[in-house]
Amino acid sequence: MTETAELDALRNEVRAFLREHAPAGWREASATQEDFVATQRSWFGKLVKAGYAIPHWPKEWPGGGRSLAEQKVIYEELAAADCPRLLLSFVSTYHAFATLHECASDEQKARYLPRILEGETWCQGFSEPNAGSDLAAIKTKAERKGDVYVINGQKVWSTMAQYADKCLLLVRTSSDGPKQAGMTYLLMDMKSPGVTVRPIHQIQGDEEFAEMFLDNVEIPVSERVGEEGQGWAVAQATLSSERGLTLMELSYRMRGALSRVAGLIRHNGHEADAGIMRDFGKLVTQVDAVCAIADQFLNNRMAGIERIGDASIVKNAYSRALRAYSLIGLRLGGMDEQYVAPITFGDLNTGNWMADFMNSFAWTIAGGSEEVQRNIIAERMLEMPREPKGWVL
Amino acid sequence: MIELSELQDAAQKAFPADKLIPDRNESWKLVAEMGWLMIDLPEDLGGLGLGRDATAAIHVELGRVLGTAPLIPALIALQGIAASTALANRQDWIDRICGGEYIPLNMLPGTVARGTDGTLSGRISGVFEADMASHVLVGMAGLYCLIPLDAAGVSVTERPIWDLSRRLFDIQLDGFVLPASLIVGEGDEAMRLHDLISPQAQLAIAADSLGGANAALDMSVEYLKMRKQFDRPLAMFQALKHRCADLKARIVTAEALFWARARNQTASITDLGATKALANEVYQFVTEEAIQLHGGIGLTEEHQCHLFMKRAMLNLQLCGNSDHWQAAAGKQAFAALT
Repeated sequence: MTETAELDALRNEVRAFLREHAPAGWREASATQEDFVATQRSWFGKLVKAGYAIPHWPKEWPGGGRSLAEQKVIYEELAAADCPRLLLSFVSTYHAFATLHECASDEQKARYLPRILEGETWCQGFSEPNAGSDLAAIKTKAERKGDVYVINGQKVWSTMAQYADKCLLLVRTSSDGPKQAGMTYLLMDMKSPGVTVRPIHQIQGDEEFAEMFLDNVEIPVSERVGEEGQGWAVAQATLSSERGLTLMELSYRMRGALSRVAGLIRHNGHEADAGIMRDFGKLVTQVDAVCAIADQFLNNRMAGIERIGDASIVKNAYSRALRAYSLIGLRLGGMDEQYVAPITFGDLNTGNWMADFMNSFAWTIAGGSEEVQRNIIAERMLEMPREPKGWVL
Repeated sequence: MIELSELQDAAQKAFPADKLIPDRNESWKLVAEMGWLMIDLPEDLGGLGLGRDATAAIHVELGRVLGTAPLIPALIALQGIAASTALANRQDWIDRICGGEYIPLNMLPGTVARGTDGTLSGRISGVFEADMASHVLVGMAGLYCLIPLDAAGVSVTERPIWDLSRRLFDIQLDGFVLPASLIVGEGDEAMRLHDLISPQAQLAIAADSLGGANAALDMSVEYLKMRKQFDRPLAMFQALKHRCADLKARIVTAEALFWARARNQTASITDLGATKALANEVYQFVTEEAIQLHGGIGLTEEHQCHLFMKRAMLNLQLCGNSDHWQAAAGKQAFAALT
């Protein structure tokens, strides 16, 4: 078979599976965050069984060994069938997987990778109250005492840490020398004594993130990934694990969800309002452009011609369009949107326009803020000089 | 098969980036010599038969240097003529144009109407570089025809424009007697020709805008790296870096849509018009920012910064403005989504 024919065959296969198994009504079944987590677990289980949950893993894993082009097909179909995104298992199947796969010992891989497929979930313990964009400034301290590290400190913005079994933990083992050199990477059991997780109540009313307080938590030295002091390098494997598929998938989902804006226009009887149709057309074109840049980004990656900064452009383009999308909904929805309505978990384009608007900020702040992305574009693509370091009070 | 990158390289050699607004007559000669007039003409009509992304690539490069050769109106007119089933001696016309005879399509709406006696009267607007044209291809309700500019009842007037890289003319027709031999398409045929050439016009102008936007951003970034204030290059200030990063992101995103649709033969005229609106608005914003980022020098005629802004502003008006295409895109999406 030619490559195109193979991709078409895969597409048909995924479609056939989704026709039968796509979890219709998952939004209604996710009225509370607990319900949402339950639907996530069940959907992940089904996708693992069908072989579509971990297409980016190596081929020795069932459903693994898919090319980027094949992964793209799978995600396109999941988006087209309006299936829930795999949010609960995202850190496990991408961040934890990449870290373990690239940097962990064989023994660690053998212990943890199979459990991810059985539904064990991971969270990421990177950011701290004083280490956001400046990740190397982390202060959470790990002291070696015999066969264990004793951890003290605080982590924040850990996605769904309250449901996680394990944590990818970045700690400081030394304060001497460059900040990056004193960092170490550990795998922490969330049930360890001394771990307190507190969900963060967000502005739209859900608790997608949590903070963690670590009070004399003991982690065996055998749970270290890489050597002591190599934490920064291991963290890069974690952070670069996502291959651009998420933004492509989200862009296509936003394209489909333009029907919500069209629905509002119809509801309001605005079809003949030239100004509104123009703004809608502008938004449609903006979203189409985001789909095009996300596609181009993946194609360049597949062709091995990706440049530094490309991912930053896709992220900024998507997050800007997401903001514009929610703002046009708020405008057309008018006063109705100011009355509190139930939120839908696990979806960015829900039609609850205030919630969508507030959610859109996660995309301009989390995962490298818009400002950090701009620095990358300016410094790495446009080759503009960095600001001088060494500012002191 | 010629690769797109080869065309781009050739264009960059012929029109180097450091020479903005190259001499028009020499540019036109060069454009003809390079074979760009026959670039997307089918091979059986004597052309190179390259896709519309090949012409787009050339338009991007000419936009980058604020090109003066009126390749866009010439190629669109050629496309109409090549597709005509009515035009007498069609191949003759094609050969003349490919040999360098300049026959443009008008790029702005006109007021020409056919009188009861069959003569044409009214104004044709938006004819670029008419001083070097032999004819103009003009479209109106139910008719596409060629107008010889030296004929009786035809007068040509230049109307000075702010854009210093191009010249624009109005053509006044007063009872011009149209010979049957100059009819390119009538009735349904005129509609078919319109649907065929309008997408090309949208793509060509979008390409010009994206080329210009890139050049204006490059120029601004270079200036910020060179200009020092407060003992450091301006390019070191985050407030300015972030603005440049936004410009870059906007250009690259618009380019992605542009190339995707240039290669997608099923893209509708509205899709392409909306793409042009996006590209034009990006061009406008980049050139606005370019002047601001240049500071005082950006306000001087001596610096080249303003030349991009003026071209961007004119591009916004050609072949349907942003309001028109965005509203059309809204209606199209609304119909598809509800």
